[in-house]
Amino acid sequence: MQPASPVVTFVLRGAALFVVWWALTLGEVSGLGFGAVVAVLVAWLSLRLFPPSGFRLRPLGLLLFFGYFLSRSVVAGLDVARRLLSPALPVHPGEIILTLRLPEGSPRWLLANTLSLMPGTLSALLEGDQLTLHCLDTRDPVERDVRETERQVGRVFGLTFDHARGAAL
Amino acid sequence: MIETTVFAMQVLLLVMGCLFFAVGTLGLFRFSDTLSRIHALTKVDNLGLGFIVLALLPLAPSLAGGLKTVLIWAAALAASATSAHLIARAVHVRPEPPEAKESADD
Repeated sequence: MQPASPVVTFVLRGAALFVVWWALTLGEVSGLGFGAVVAVLVAWLSLRLFPPSGFRLRPLGLLLFFGYFLSRSVVAGLDVARRLLSPALPVHPGEIILTLRLPEGSPRWLLANTLSLMPGTLSALLEGDQLTLHCLDTRDPVERDVRETERQVGRVFGLTFDHARGAAL
Repeated sequence: MIETTVFAMQVLLLVMGCLFFAVGTLGLFRFSDTLSRIHALTKVDNLGLGFIVLALLPLAPSLAGGLKTVLIWAAALAASATSAHLIARAVHVRPEPPEAKESADD
């Protein structure tokens, strides 16, 4: 995949930073000029530190991902709370190692961080395409949930998977 | 009428948020190993903070104020996922010695 042009990345990052500044200053008009200067400088610095990669965010995929993330966050919180409040403390901790289908870079990073907030999983070690997960209950269908999260993360970057071969297209 | 309903919803959400935080802290005591404790703290606190942010949104003075409240939640989520992963990696690379767990109970 071709990396996005630096100019487009610069404009998008600068705009996002400016919106954050606007929110942090509660829309204070007198601070907007200074905020614009800071946004431009930080966007420039971010290009030096994190040059544009070949992955582009898809607005629709991102929106669907937010919905998925929010609903699964509720499930995750309720799941741990239910186990904690149950007198028998029904947990069966253990580790599993999975081979990720997502490509190196932002997609894998987003998946590993998301999984730490999803029900029953905690990213312990990410080495190459091998992700070690700590599971609260290894009797649950952990891998099925992880694959679904992986599919959702892939969609954020416009990636789809061939399930038969298990490789990114 | 609508104001009363919104107020009742806010109170309900705030109480639920605080309860989830309390349950997350309970996890520190009930679970016996570091990694399970992190499960409790990250996931339950994420939900608790989410409820509190939802409860506070109707009080936001402006659109920017509301966005700022949501940004706080997003920043807490990113920090919690990152620190959870760092602690999990540290434990994975150098597992806790079993005797350390015993002495912690004394």
